[in-house]
Amino acid sequence: MLEVRGLVSGYGKGAPVLRGVDLTAARGDRIAIMGRNGMGKTLFAKTLIGLIRPMEGTVRFDGTPTGGLPAHRVSNLGLAYVPQGREIFGDFTVLENLRMGVIGKPGLGMERLEQILGWFPILRERATQRAGTMSGGQMQQLAIARALISGPKLLLLDEPSEGIQPNIVHEIAEKLRNISQQEGLTVLVIEQNFDMVEILADRVAFIENGRITGEQPVARLSADPDLITQHMGL
Amino acid sequence: MAGTLALALDALNYTSVLLLVSIGLVIVFGMMQVINLAHGEFFLIGAYTVLVLQGLGVPFWATLPLAFAVGALFGLICDGVILRFIYDRPTDTILATWGLSLAIRQAIVILFGPGSQQVSAPLTAPVAFLGITYSSYRLAIMAIAIMVAVAVFVLLYRTGFGLAARAAMVNRPMAQSLGINTRRLDRITFGFGTGLAGFAGAVMAPLMSVDPQMGMGFVLPAFLSILVGGVGSPVGAIWGSVVIGGSTTVAASWWTPVIAQIIVFSLAVAVIRFLPTGLSGLRRR
Repeated sequence: MLEVRGLVSGYGKGAPVLRGVDLTAARGDRIAIMGRNGMGKTLFAKTLIGLIRPMEGTVRFDGTPTGGLPAHRVSNLGLAYVPQGREIFGDFTVLENLRMGVIGKPGLGMERLEQILGWFPILRERATQRAGTMSGGQMQQLAIARALISGPKLLLLDEPSEGIQPNIVHEIAEKLRNISQQEGLTVLVIEQNFDMVEILADRVAFIENGRITGEQPVARLSADPDLITQHMGL
Repeated sequence: MAGTLALALDALNYTSVLLLVSIGLVIVFGMMQVINLAHGEFFLIGAYTVLVLQGLGVPFWATLPLAFAVGALFGLICDGVILRFIYDRPTDTILATWGLSLAIRQAIVILFGPGSQQVSAPLTAPVAFLGITYSSYRLAIMAIAIMVAVAVFVLLYRTGFGLAARAAMVNRPMAQSLGINTRRLDRITFGFGTGLAGFAGAVMAPLMSVDPQMGMGFVLPAFLSILVGGVGSPVGAIWGSVVIGGSTTVAASWWTPVIAQIIVFSLAVAVIRFLPTGLSGLRRR
């Protein structure tokens, strides 16, 4: 479903930050990417969605080579992105934000709205409210709902737990796990917070100095937390 | 009383046409971060389209949509030939559009000569109402300009296209990540904006002398309007046009057009000094 080989990427014309990333995800996999700050995790997400052009390497999504495609084409292939900081449209209502998830997709309407509002009931209550006035946790749910409404094959989340209180982090992680299991949705989550990773993901890929340095099943990391500190070079 | 009403109508007339020019500027800037210094020349193209078509015997009202189409078409060509290559370098677009404005103006001079020409108005009889007599053509263009402006706002605030366009204005990378082809939106927006400028030039043609400098007279107040209203805010263009259009007309009638310019520029400086994000910044306070 997703196959990344030797991916080299960086910001602008500067030196590459990612220096040969390899990662494979099968349908329904839930993979967390962990690593210290500045290791290129967000850059990896932006390169996958197409906001940044890779310098070298290949990315195949569902058999289609996507390295170098513009973001809107990658998105239309079924890769949905929830960026760091959520990036919802604060001046738009909740419903308008959800509509943004399908507006660029040819032939897609709001068919999944009821299902989405069933998963995130708070959004039903706030449907006509301006999105910028909601709490951090609500905005995060909106950003995830906006990504899911188009029925993507892969959900890419960048630090979804950032700035959200722990009980909501739990709730979101559990919800995402259930959705992924129900829908066969592949999830790739960049996350520092092991509480979220533990609930949501099945395996963790560690990124250091621009490369994936190792992968571990989450169960193994839960049993032996020292492994996390080792892998993250702390 | 009668004098005040006539003055108010003059102000509304100027404001409504100014709004058409300003909306084009503001959506192009909001979407592409391009400060289109050639916007006035699309106004010019609209006016000369009417001149040419009238010479060919096309009825005036039929020239208006054609002026929009010609303005839009030229805009699309300029986008495809020039802006496409530099739209991610905002400073370069200022130079490029300035060069474009010189080129269009000189091309008009070569084709039509530097002198001013007249376009005849389709309605000439004044109408009498509420104790005044007023130009029926001015009333007609007011109605048309307001209808077109309303249509533009319906498009921007009530349609899927408008939602996508506004999203791309506030957060372009996110809009792209959600599957929106922002380059396509850029092209449509630029063509639409220049089409509106062409349309504004066409409706104003019978009221002005049609000459190669006429675009300047509208594009400067339009720039002031979007600065006063709030750069990047289509609704702000309304407030900006009301302030600039209204104060220009009133001051010019009380004193002279020169004093009006001084007053309007001072007013614009004062608004920008105290409300750096323009009048639309008031709402967010």
